[in-house]
Amino acid sequence: MILDRVKSPAFQTIKQVSIPKIESIMLSNGIPVHYISIGEQPVVKLEISFDAGNWYEKQNGVSLFVAKMLGEGTKKYSSSQISAFFDQYGAFIEFGHGLDRANITVYGLTKYLPTLLPMVKEILENAVFPEDELEKFKKIQLQTLEVNAGKTSFIANKVFRKKVFGDNHSYGNSLDEEAIQAINRDTLLDFYQSFWLGKKPRIFLSGKITESEVNLLEDFFGKNDVQSIVKDISLNKDEYNLIEKSVLIEKEDSIQSSIRMGKQMMTRKHPDYFKMLVLNETLGGYFGSRLMSNIREEKGLTYGISSNIAPFSKAGYFVIGTDVKRENTQQTIDEIYKEINILQRELIKDGELEVVKNYMIGSFAGSLNTPFDILDRYKVILSEELSLDFYDCYIQNIQAITAEMVLEVANQHLAIDSLVEIVVGGK
Amino acid sequence: MISYDYFILDNGLKVYVHQDYSTPIAAVNIIYNVGSRDEEEHKTGFAHLFEHLMFGGSKNIPSYDTPLQKVGGENNAFTSPDITNYYITLPAVNIETAFWLESDRMLSLSFDQKVLDVQQKVVIEEFKQRYLNQPYGDVWLKLRPLAYQVHPYKWATIGKEIAHIEDAVMDDVRSFFYKHYLPNNAILVVAGPISVEEVKQLAKKWFEPIPAGKLSPRNLPQEPIQTASRFLEVTAKVPLDAIYKVYHTQGRHDVGYNAVDLASDILGRSKSSRLYEKLVKEQPIFNSINAYVTSSLDPGLMILQGNLNKGISIEEGDAAIQEVLNDFLKNPVSEEELTKVKNQAESTLVFSEVELLNRAMNLAFASNAGDVEYANLESSKIQAVTVDDISQQANRILTKENCSTMYYRAN
Repeated sequence: MILDRVKSPAFQTIKQVSIPKIESIMLSNGIPVHYISIGEQPVVKLEISFDAGNWYEKQNGVSLFVAKMLGEGTKKYSSSQISAFFDQYGAFIEFGHGLDRANITVYGLTKYLPTLLPMVKEILENAVFPEDELEKFKKIQLQTLEVNAGKTSFIANKVFRKKVFGDNHSYGNSLDEEAIQAINRDTLLDFYQSFWLGKKPRIFLSGKITESEVNLLEDFFGKNDVQSIVKDISLNKDEYNLIEKSVLIEKEDSIQSSIRMGKQMMTRKHPDYFKMLVLNETLGGYFGSRLMSNIREEKGLTYGISSNIAPFSKAGYFVIGTDVKRENTQQTIDEIYKEINILQRELIKDGELEVVKNYMIGSFAGSLNTPFDILDRYKVILSEELSLDFYDCYIQNIQAITAEMVLEVANQHLAIDSLVEIVVGGK
Repeated sequence: MISYDYFILDNGLKVYVHQDYSTPIAAVNIIYNVGSRDEEEHKTGFAHLFEHLMFGGSKNIPSYDTPLQKVGGENNAFTSPDITNYYITLPAVNIETAFWLESDRMLSLSFDQKVLDVQQKVVIEEFKQRYLNQPYGDVWLKLRPLAYQVHPYKWATIGKEIAHIEDAVMDDVRSFFYKHYLPNNAILVVAGPISVEEVKQLAKKWFEPIPAGKLSPRNLPQEPIQTASRFLEVTAKVPLDAIYKVYHTQGRHDVGYNAVDLASDILGRSKSSRLYEKLVKEQPIFNSINAYVTSSLDPGLMILQGNLNKGISIEEGDAAIQEVLNDFLKNPVSEEELTKVKNQAESTLVFSEVELLNRAMNLAFASNAGDVEYANLESSKIQAVTVDDISQQANRILTKENCSTMYYRAN
């Protein structure tokens, strides 16, 4: 028989993905621990996550500095000793910081976990933010900022967030020189004491682990009294109205423009969330998306263009981003509007909707490959206090979206007038 | 340890199967033994441009991406000086789609002029976005020709200049395809919940009918031993002065490579490394500094690079690095320091095997480099390195004659 290379082989649509279940326990002091043990490699990831992100700060940059400087000195150990300690065991320590939360994360071989935990505890409970390390850290931050200021994409991202959230929303904040200069040791200590020290974190443990690793957590983190922080601390987040639709930041020496377009958008709890996910995917969420097909694959205007939905605890944003040749800037913006317009006027054809949904479901299934990925999914559910079956229903929720729904949310949430337009470079 | 089964098709395509039934996802990785080192000097950037064209439709399938997305699959590719690598992850139940797509583009591309026209523009925008419109983005465009005078590593994979990408024509595409994209110049790795028998049956069905071709031997001019230090100074619109010092080392699988790699870790891998500890922490000369090796298959480079703090001259920074090096060369590394970098290397290796796709790639790279067992021998090679090996390699490599230095000045 001659092989038919034209016809695609038969395939199955994924109806269900079984996400391995996690275990949850509570330490004596009420700290929740969520863990999963799968995989063959003898590795572990420990993440201790606090409500200590941008949202909780009164002064721009403080939450970031606190998180990033936790390992720069404790009552017992210097910054160098701490780095040397983790390096000695081939472990990696990261100090994560985001808009809502901040964390200490340690990756290492499982056999070293008992050795690493005392130092993690020391950092959590006895960070001192030494004056000299703060000065060095500020200097590094200032200079890094200067390097980034030379990148059109960096500036565009920063201005975009500011425009979308407004001046008085901590989600719109990013580090600038003034903010860095204004930080001092007292403000760091104050934030550390208010949001880290003695506060109740969530602990996530994943990798190839046994009961004995889980039990260690009780010994190290379960004994001290901890308090929950008031989650909805409101920090004068004024209502925000879009005043200026387009912003052009000229950079004469730049050979490309970075374009960012978008607006404030819903959180995961919004009833239209899954509709928006499918709309976003169709417009610019994957390689076969309309923006990629038109602007890269048809016209060759860019190396890449994408759209994204970024949901956080209190709000989120939708953004379209690309870098293009200066002289193609306006053409690209016009094409982006054209593609949004089409989605507002014409129903997606069944074939395309099928590709989009199958792709989303396949990549969801494919994103659950490692113990770290799986626990990260649960982390979102637990931290955002979503329903525990959020991801179990994920595929059904995607499958349920119709072309009519996509058209409806394209009109409702992507009105052209509501989108800000940031260009850094030139037109 | 990455387990595998192996067979070879009549046309010379090597196939590895790594079974893992813990996931519903399969990974399919194809490596072609061609990279930018195989280009002609007046047509650089071509291997990478060609990689883009591989997504522009093949003989029987007008679109590569859509059918894959339709079955829930994702794909990407990358080109390096040594290789071009294509990979797919998809639900294992739909694995035949991957065989169908990959075999058709190995059989023949569509050679569509419009695809070439568009991808030339796309790659030129990529060139600008990644190498020209970024502070320090062009560093490697300048460093490569300084360090390599003869070997094709002297040009970057993106290409020496934009004009080379503009000048590519369809005849170049055709001849490149028939010269390099042959089953006997490729390795297929399939990983996931799938039996060897099933892979065998699919591989025979889809790949075996593709005819083998004649491979021309790779006669690359090898870089002569550098006998005198080299120096380049450039000025660019960046905020901080930077310094780059590069030294010729051995290739990825040559004797002594692991010792050199660990030596670079001791010097500048992490915050407890010598350069960082001495020149960022103790004396605030650098804003950032690190050391690493290129891991290329032909003899590669060790790189020491740092951004200077304001108010410190590049010359001072250079001298400070040299002082750290002198101390490193004169005094033996302690066992404790060696254990540290071994633990780091070991840990990195184990973490690299957590992802299914990475395991598939590790096998593909190792086999392409000459022996699939390289993937599983790495750990013992790391452990075997001694304090004496480090000192011997460091003294051989970190000499002034073997060094090319670039001062990258802020204007």
